[in-house]
Amino acid sequence: MAVQEAKRANRLKSGKLVNKLVNEYWEDLINAKKTGKKVIYTTGLPIGPFMAAQDLAWIHGEGYGARVAARHEEKEPQTFAENRGFNRELCSYARTQMGCAMFAEFGVPDDLMPGPIATEIPAPDAIVTCYPGCSTGPQWDWAIERVFGKKIPWFNVVIPYHMGRNGSTYMKGEEFEENVKYVERQFEDLIKFLEVISGKPYNWDKFQELMGVTKKVGQLRMEAMELCKAKPAPASFFDWSIQIAPVNYLTAWPGTIEAMEAVKAEVQERLDNGVSAVPTEKYRIFWEGIMNWNKLGWMADKFASYDATVVAGRYTHMAFWHEPDSIDPEHPLRGIAINHLECQLNLGYPITEERMMTLSKEYSIDGIVFHGARTCRSFSRSHFLLAENLNKKMGIQSTSFEGDMVDDSFYKEELVNTRIEALIESLEAQKSR
Amino acid sequence: MTSKTDGSSFFTMGVDSGSLTGKAVIIDGNKQIVSHSVKQLGFVSQKAVTMAIDEALDKAGLGLDDIAFTVSTGYGRKRLEIAGKNLTEISCHAKGANYLYPEVKTVIDIGGQDSKVIAVDPSGNVKNFAMNDKCAAGTGQFLEVLARALDVELTEIGELSMQSDADIKISSMCTTFAESEVISLVAEGHSTIDILSGMHKAISGRMKGLVGRVGMQKPVMMTGGGAKNIGLVHALEKSLGVSIFIPSEPQIVGALGAALFANDFATGIRKKVEEEQDLDKSRAPAKDCASCSIQNYQLNKTT
Ligand code: SF4
Repeated sequence: MAVQEAKRANRLKSGKLVNKLVNEYWEDLINAKKTGKKVIYTTGLPIGPFMAAQDLAWIHGEGYGARVAARHEEKEPQTFAENRGFNRELCSYARTQMGCAMFAEFGVPDDLMPGPIATEIPAPDAIVTCYPGCSTGPQWDWAIERVFGKKIPWFNVVIPYHMGRNGSTYMKGEEFEENVKYVERQFEDLIKFLEVISGKPYNWDKFQELMGVTKKVGQLRMEAMELCKAKPAPASFFDWSIQIAPVNYLTAWPGTIEAMEAVKAEVQERLDNGVSAVPTEKYRIFWEGIMNWNKLGWMADKFASYDATVVAGRYTHMAFWHEPDSIDPEHPLRGIAINHLECQLNLGYPITEERMMTLSKEYSIDGIVFHGARTCRSFSRSHFLLAENLNKKMGIQSTSFEGDMVDDSFYKEELVNTRIEALIESLEAQKSR
Repeated sequence: MTSKTDGSSFFTMGVDSGSLTGKAVIIDGNKQIVSHSVKQLGFVSQKAVTMAIDEALDKAGLGLDDIAFTVSTGYGRKRLEIAGKNLTEISCHAKGANYLYPEVKTVIDIGGQDSKVIAVDPSGNVKNFAMNDKCAAGTGQFLEVLARALDVELTEIGELSMQSDADIKISSMCTTFAESEVISLVAEGHSTIDILSGMHKAISGRMKGLVGRVGMQKPVMMTGGGAKNIGLVHALEKSLGVSIFIPSEPQIVGALGAALFANDFATGIRKKVEEEQDLDKSRAPAKDCASCSIQNYQLNKTT
């Protein structure tokens, strides 16, 4: 019998440093109330520095959901949320965090045995929403407020979609400039809101310092990822997904510069020594779609077993301080607005296509895998069009499968296998033509 | 049938372990079909696969030892111990379709678990493909569940639906929702034949979108169990605006493609063996090749 899955992904080792920071962050958060810190719930974009500057703890809804799923504790909170009417088709991040919040507020029912992480979420003192390209995010926070049954101060930063009107393109044009100014004004109001919540004037010096850190970490990550344009690639999309925390909810956390320096140094060392992310790289793949956290290792090994490196992805390469040079730490609001407005979920179709084509050229992409997350339609809204146009314009073949961010009940392993293998077989046929 | 003792030939087998049926095709060294078999027993049934293999061997008058190389395909492809290689149905359907109809450019396969549209190049390679996006939407399983809800045999639904000229819409392509939609249509008093026709229209509408994703190029062939459903073929032809070529045994196209791939592998191995033998002859004295791994493919048995 042909066995094709023996080869495994060669993951970056320096990710362990990131794990340490992640653990520190969660420890700090869980004990926040004991140390007198107020807890802010956030969803969407990485806005931690706004809160960190005021000594407020923040909890990122998706980050929490992903952490619970990575520890395989997601089933119980999801079940609890579903039992209380939050439909299975609702964003699985939202369902997971809602379930955890309900454990905190209503207690754990006798018939469920959730894991320790799922039950340790502290209650919110305020909510800050900053969601691009999806209306579920703000409604999720609204539902969180209802769970706790009291008026929780809430600030919603509206991130307008960058459609590409009147010739506005990536980081250019009237529409873009107007949007940046609109978001900047909201950030100014957010700062006033946080002054009220924390009861003290805003600490601009600390905020500027943290945005300096953010810029540096963003630059290091982009430089490290760009080293993977080399063939074979020294690290993969799965490594960048594993390392996402320092540019996501851990943004500007102490130690993130050192952690990302270590990651970049390891990638450089691999490049110098000819070490690659998969043992034998024959095909280079682009991952289009959100990450699936409880299948990450499985996916990484699966592609490695087919001699395919997933070198880049919309999730990792088009968001999370991906435009660090636009940040001026002295005047940080504009740079934050730019990074958030021009992120992967917030771009109109023509801009998204242009960005994907650019990345496909830069990373020498052979094929695209479209991961249609069942409960995140925001991320998969243009998949068919992208598949069609990237094939027509660049001759890139693709495959698609359905999965999810943190609800693995939407996977059918054999369906996923067949679709990935079919892409690899057709790439092989294409190369031998 | 090619003679087992024909020194110029050998036999290869393709096995399609599908989600609902097991299929096996045996071809000779000249790529002529020697025998085939289709067995239906249940979901990814190993028994159906074994029965199909046994029957194909039986019809060909061959034993397993006579097969130079086997390629498996279909959902259970990795579970077939005797296969030297497994390949997806996408590649196998493209190859099989090209063999049966070398001009074919688009292949539509409606299988048990999924439906696919494949753009094929003149050599039978996959140029592009698209598959149904989720669960059993628009697949054989979808039809099977709905046929059961209507208490009609799957084999009858095609003919029955052709008698309808009503325009019933089934909007949901999720099997579970469509089942309750069908039940409510029955409750509303719609006839079974009209509902069946609505089901076929719903699937062909969905397939039209899939065809659009790879870009339809004529000629179009339909393979898989769905191609035996005349009502579905008719609905598809209508929605695509083309006439669709249906091979005489649409269910074996994947297994046939697998047998053709097996022939390629066996030919490659034979060539390698011959080159080795030529090399050995030029290197005197001759070596004992008893432990040579290439011989393990049992090629010599058919040559
Ligand atoms: S549906 Fe997707 S984009 Fe919307 S909140 Fe959930 S994960 Fe975020």
